[in-house]
Amino acid sequence: MGQRLDKHILKNGMVLLGEPMEAVGSAAFEFMLPAGAARLPEGCCGAANVITDWIFRGAGERDSRRLSDELDGLGLHRSGAVNSSHITIGAVLEAGNLQQAIELYADVILSARLEDEQFEPAKQLAIEGVRALDDDPRQKVMLKVQEQFYPSPLGRSSAGNIDELTVLTADKTRKIIKSNFNLSGTIFAMAGKYDFGVIVRQMEKLFGTGAGKSMRPIKAGSKAGKYTHLHNEGAQVHIGLMTETVKPTDEDYYNARVAVSVLSGGMSARLFTEVREKRGLCYAIGARYHCLKEAAGIVCYAGTTPEKAQETLDCIIGEFNRLADGISEDEIERAKVGLKSSLILQSESSSSRAGATAGDYYILGRVRSLDEIKDKIEATSVDSVLGFLRNNKFGEFTAVTIGPREIAVK
Amino acid sequence: MEFKKKKLANGLAVVGEVNKSAKSAAVGFFVRAGSRDENEQISGVSHFLEHMVFKGTEKLSTFEVNEAFDRTGAQFNASTSEENTVFYAAVLPEYLAEATKLWTELMRPALREKDFDIEKNVIKEEIAMHKDMPSYDVMERCRKLHFDAHPCGNSVLGSEESIGNMTAEQMRGYFGRRYAPNNMTLAFAGNFNWEEVCSVAESLCEKWQRQRVTRLAKDWRGSKKKEGIEKANLSCEHICLMSAGVSAADPRRFAASLAAVIIGADVGSRFFWELVDKAIAETAAMQFEAMEGTGILCSYICCPDKNTGQVLDTVRDIFGNLSQNGITEDELRKAKNKMLSALVIKNELPMERLVDLGSNWTYLQQYRTVEDDISAIKAVTVNDVNLLIKQLEPANFTQFSIGPTR
Repeated sequence: MGQRLDKHILKNGMVLLGEPMEAVGSAAFEFMLPAGAARLPEGCCGAANVITDWIFRGAGERDSRRLSDELDGLGLHRSGAVNSSHITIGAVLEAGNLQQAIELYADVILSARLEDEQFEPAKQLAIEGVRALDDDPRQKVMLKVQEQFYPSPLGRSSAGNIDELTVLTADKTRKIIKSNFNLSGTIFAMAGKYDFGVIVRQMEKLFGTGAGKSMRPIKAGSKAGKYTHLHNEGAQVHIGLMTETVKPTDEDYYNARVAVSVLSGGMSARLFTEVREKRGLCYAIGARYHCLKEAAGIVCYAGTTPEKAQETLDCIIGEFNRLADGISEDEIERAKVGLKSSLILQSESSSSRAGATAGDYYILGRVRSLDEIKDKIEATSVDSVLGFLRNNKFGEFTAVTIGPREIAVK
Repeated sequence: MEFKKKKLANGLAVVGEVNKSAKSAAVGFFVRAGSRDENEQISGVSHFLEHMVFKGTEKLSTFEVNEAFDRTGAQFNASTSEENTVFYAAVLPEYLAEATKLWTELMRPALREKDFDIEKNVIKEEIAMHKDMPSYDVMERCRKLHFDAHPCGNSVLGSEESIGNMTAEQMRGYFGRRYAPNNMTLAFAGNFNWEEVCSVAESLCEKWQRQRVTRLAKDWRGSKKKEGIEKANLSCEHICLMSAGVSAADPRRFAASLAAVIIGADVGSRFFWELVDKAIAETAAMQFEAMEGTGILCSYICCPDKNTGQVLDTVRDIFGNLSQNGITEDELRKAKNKMLSALVIKNELPMERLVDLGSNWTYLQQYRTVEDDISAIKAVTVNDVNLLIKQLEPANFTQFSIGPTR
């Protein structure tokens, strides 16, 4: 494939990554700031969301309105997300405006105004965001199951906690920003059409003089428990389920990915076939691999009417456990083709590539090429996947349900 | 980019845009069949039929269909709206002919009674799932209220009752009327060999029979009624506002899209500054939806229920100000930048390009390049948008809200 990966590290430790793409006129970039939910001090759950909003309400010489107008003027499509480890802010735009966009984002990261009068609406929006989640049980159950599955604070809700947000102050939030916007733990990644030399010089100028301090790993405590039911008089029981598996650094990582694909890769995969096609228990059913740097799991969602909820959960867990009993050559082949194909389809999008590059660097300390991933997927077999499953039997299942009926996790 | 087209003797339109530098290719059938083509007895049949297409043909079982698609590594699915049912797949170029063959065979499904009965349960689960999504529920109820007796207000999913009572025979009848070759478009985008996929389509489709297909396509300005319901398990107020738009064939559709960006894009719009930035609403967004013969401007707002009055007052002020003073040059410039870059970025992916290509053929019987759309957006003036706002009167909206019990 002849893929090129660009890399440069600033003196303060900030990492710059790039993947040029020939066929596109766009460029996507993202800054991964080490200020995610798990890095927040105790009692400030949700502060990362307030920060993500507040820093865009004026930076450097631009007030909130002017900053927004200038970003819009570049025809830029913003993205922002909070996860366990990072706040990620980025954008995709026509490549010609890339440098101007980076200039504005540097201001947002290094010299956000953080004015008192802008703090309250930012905080209020974060609180309303948590409240809106109550009306979206499907999304809420996924956040809750991760919160319960990962050892605390790794799974801490990225949306936040209303009580803790209510007492959060502007001063406290400024302190968090000062401590967590640490350049030595920041990764900048871009993909698409760009000139790496030009961007490196620009980044040296903008970020090169900022100090960095060494990053401490996140200390993980205990898990929250096996099963939680949240009562809601809705139409369905929304089931979130997680169980442990190997991390991307593990030699069995690709065996795990293929196993998950056999379970829930396409429409011919086990869960869709058994739960939906044969039994008609659900409309939405699926499982995927999910990882943090510190731990990994297989996460599964299903939504079903109350009278079918127990059968659905039992059927799903049955399918997880049945995997190690045997997998056909044809199933493995379909799983591998599916994984390789989605890898290449995603590689056509500059924002997907920028995201994958940054994620790889954070978790593995290096960026894998598409060829490397393809080869590793190709190298798996029925024997290797079954060997992995038999040596790593699924242990405990963590479950959260939201709906009108509680069920039993057997 | 190279455009290709062919019309088969039975009326099936086959169109393609070849992009040799793409890494993937996409194929899709666009069928002019949606809930607006249904009556009360068969409410939800278009969407149910979309599910049944996956259940196989006389020669292929459900499981064989799923396995055959998965062997190609396809990202494949289908969707049903008020207007269209679209079946699509994105694949690596070497698998496009196989994916095309599969979809083409599936366009003549077996519609077996046994599959029909099992799939009814899945549809009922889908209806239940959407009941737990107030953002969807409020839009569907508002659409019904807005369109009143006009068929564009018909529910896509149907009701538990209409699905429960539906027979396979009724579905077969509907299939025969709508899945006629002269009511469908087969489209391709990305990196593919036109001759190869065209011959696959030709050999499999030539026996399909042309039918006389009708659709009521009157314009509709909306009922302007205002209603709401309460649900004990909700935390927020969900509000949908709907007003007249323009149709998919109307040249003013670009001005309507720009108006929706200026009023209700997720950042930098009038809704954003007056409602979201001030934290009066958690979400406030407007979209323009062009349909056959008609169209709507549709806004969705989610806010704390105590703010509902303030939200509606603010919306009225925004619309009042727009109809009195119009938009500014600066607003239009920013809206164009947003739309143009979104258009360019989106069309870098064959799957996204397929949607525009198939839709343009379905609605306009016309091939439009990305550059054609760019030029049309650039040509819109402040006066065009202001005149359209005066004609459409967004302040004169239908309103539906769903919120917690007071």
